[in-house]
Amino acid sequence: MATIGTKFIARAIVDADGMLTEAEEPLASLQVECGGRIGGPVAVPELRALVEKAQRFGLRLARQFRAVDGQDRITAWIEIEPLHGSDGSPQGCELGLVSWHSEELPPEDELEAARRRAELSRNLADLTARLDPSQRVLSVAVEAPDLTRLQIAMEGGVGRPWTDFVTFPGNLHEQPLHWRLLDGAECLIEGSKRRWTAHLEPLGQPEPGSAGFVLNLLADRPLGAGALDDASDSGSEPPSLGRDLSPVLRQPINRIIANAETIRTKLAGPLAEEYSDYAADIAAAGQHLLALIDDLSDLEIVESEDFVTAPDRIDLGNVARQACGILGVRAREKGIELSAPPNGESQLAIAEFRRVLQVLINLINNAIRYSPEGSQIWVRLDRIGQRAMVTVADQGHGIDENQQARIFEKFERLGRSGDGGSGLGLYISRRIARAMDGDLTVESAKGQGARFTLSVPAAEDLRNAPRDGPKLDK
Amino acid sequence: MIEPTAGPSSTATPRADPQWPEGEALRLALAQGDQALGRIGPILGHLLSTRDQSLFSDELVARIRAMLTHLAWQILRIQAEATGVKGREEFAAAHGEGLSEQLFDTPALVAHCHALALEWQLAARLEAGHGLDPVISPLLQSLIGNEDAGIASAAMASLAAQARFAQSQRRMQLPLGELPGDLFHALLLAWRGYNGEDASDALVRAEGRLRADYDEAAGRLSLLERVVTLLGKDGSHALTFDQAGVALFLSALALRTGQPRDIVAVSLHDSQMARLAVGLRAAGLKPQDIEAQILRLHPDRDPPEGLADIGTREALNLLARSAGWAGD
Repeated sequence: MATIGTKFIARAIVDADGMLTEAEEPLASLQVECGGRIGGPVAVPELRALVEKAQRFGLRLARQFRAVDGQDRITAWIEIEPLHGSDGSPQGCELGLVSWHSEELPPEDELEAARRRAELSRNLADLTARLDPSQRVLSVAVEAPDLTRLQIAMEGGVGRPWTDFVTFPGNLHEQPLHWRLLDGAECLIEGSKRRWTAHLEPLGQPEPGSAGFVLNLLADRPLGAGALDDASDSGSEPPSLGRDLSPVLRQPINRIIANAETIRTKLAGPLAEEYSDYAADIAAAGQHLLALIDDLSDLEIVESEDFVTAPDRIDLGNVARQACGILGVRAREKGIELSAPPNGESQLAIAEFRRVLQVLINLINNAIRYSPEGSQIWVRLDRIGQRAMVTVADQGHGIDENQQARIFEKFERLGRSGDGGSGLGLYISRRIARAMDGDLTVESAKGQGARFTLSVPAAEDLRNAPRDGPKLDK
Repeated sequence: MIEPTAGPSSTATPRADPQWPEGEALRLALAQGDQALGRIGPILGHLLSTRDQSLFSDELVARIRAMLTHLAWQILRIQAEATGVKGREEFAAAHGEGLSEQLFDTPALVAHCHALALEWQLAARLEAGHGLDPVISPLLQSLIGNEDAGIASAAMASLAAQARFAQSQRRMQLPLGELPGDLFHALLLAWRGYNGEDASDALVRAEGRLRADYDEAAGRLSLLERVVTLLGKDGSHALTFDQAGVALFLSALALRTGQPRDIVAVSLHDSQMARLAVGLRAAGLKPQDIEAQILRLHPDRDPPEGLADIGTREALNLLARSAGWAGD
């Protein structure tokens, strides 16, 4: 080989798996500066590409590479020799450093830096939302499973400021603040253990933000980064449904549903009625599966030890009327009259709005599902001592005592099947109720309908401080 | 869909007649002939209407064809040796055309040979017009005496490599070892493709040996880049033709702007003056120095305007956004 007498400044070894097993200075320091370690994967981007190329081609390469070690720009010349075992199998590479120049990085152009930051946050954000000029949510897209709850909340709360859905530790100001103050703010998100930073990218000219904003939420660490380091540990833990499986399952099921709907509605052309009906069955089964996945990931969340709810002061009447509004159409489809608490009636309580809404929607859904056509469902408020209550009563077949004892158990279907239920709804609802310092109970007799009652701690006045915990801005 | 033929109509088509098996082959040959006929017009039209012949001149086409054929022959000789065929030259002669055609279909190799041919043309022109030696430039000469032994030996080695390059260009040849790693790999893949799916053990061994013997560090292009890299900040001296010579100039400009060297070589052509100017700006040259370089190259042309308005960073961005080498 050597046409010229080559003196290497430093040598390094990369093994067959691409791990930098040995490195002399200054390569060792550069590896660390680039976020790697000796024994870990090659972390210098251009060098890594060169090593991979030399291994893939099985060719000795000699090239320039550039890198940035934090303060300086490095320009270096490296020779890479792929090594082979006696049987010809690749054994990694030997690296020889021939030259090394470092010069100070020029100060970064401010516009350029802003653009780069925007680009970074766009690419790394786990949540991206489009906001209107008043920072109200217009649409939201989520890529991390620990944000699924937030996504559901935001999608259900389109038109509300995004600041309603996250909490800013230590920030007691009325939200949303001016976007420049919120850009870069740290926030906490329910359901996620990671710490988040919000980045607001203003849109529109000449006044930034006049056409709205793009909100990017970036986490302090990638999800499951710990699992990469300790592959052996993660083997013992089964994959989490809510965190790992549900986003993976959701996508294909959504496709199934969408395509089945296309067939059902004969969008792509005429089709025999039977096939259209089969497609409707497929779509319905897909919807069921999706609901089941939601329930199972909810289950995982409510069963986890760190499941907490926010002690907000809320008006149960308000929540009940919202729940009735959401399900009014379904009830009317079945000819059922859904009677919400009259406007103006209120019952203040300490609970989390979203969770109470979730429980009520579950209860009312059940009532609609198991009530005969033309019947009535009432949602009523009450208070006994320090307990605020909301009751959902129906005129269904009722539940006997024996069944009442089992109805809140996990996967209990009371012998029903094929109606789209998972047997998890009431179990989850009761877990949520108890997490809010409340309870969910049932009174019924066979043939007399059923009354499900959610009770939570009552509040005297919306202006009063909550029992404990920090004051949380809405 | 045509209905399956039945009855008398089937005898009317020759291909359905088992008595005429060569009918199909003839028909295919005619169809291929038709295609070739169809291409003559557009290609001739294009060549005739291109007033400036210098990018596709007969000389360039001949050089590119010769270099690729030379590559094919070198590899075929090795193949003949590895598979034990008697008469290496005969084997190379028999397959030379076939493998060359495979190489003509490998755009990266063709582009590389095009760039080399342009580089050599320019070097020859500067030698004739300005007395600039195509092998030893003033910069290279001074580097050979550099007190840094590493620089001196790299300069010495690239001088030798440049001499080899001049020699082989005069013979319209391109030695295998002069290809950069990526193209060497592409060449081996094309060779594999030419030999078809199931390669014999002998062929596999031959390819393994070719790969093992290859050393990019010994190639001219690698040596030139190494000299530029060793120079570090002083590498900017290599951005003047008169000082550096065409070869070092191209390597320095490519490294400094992140463009492939083959693209930089084409940018020396008249039609690519803007790219050259922007490239030099991106490499950090001052507008008046750029003008001097361009006038040296194209004495009869006006340098592009507006160079003073863009900074190094904008120039780099401009280059990165231009589609010239999007397919790198």
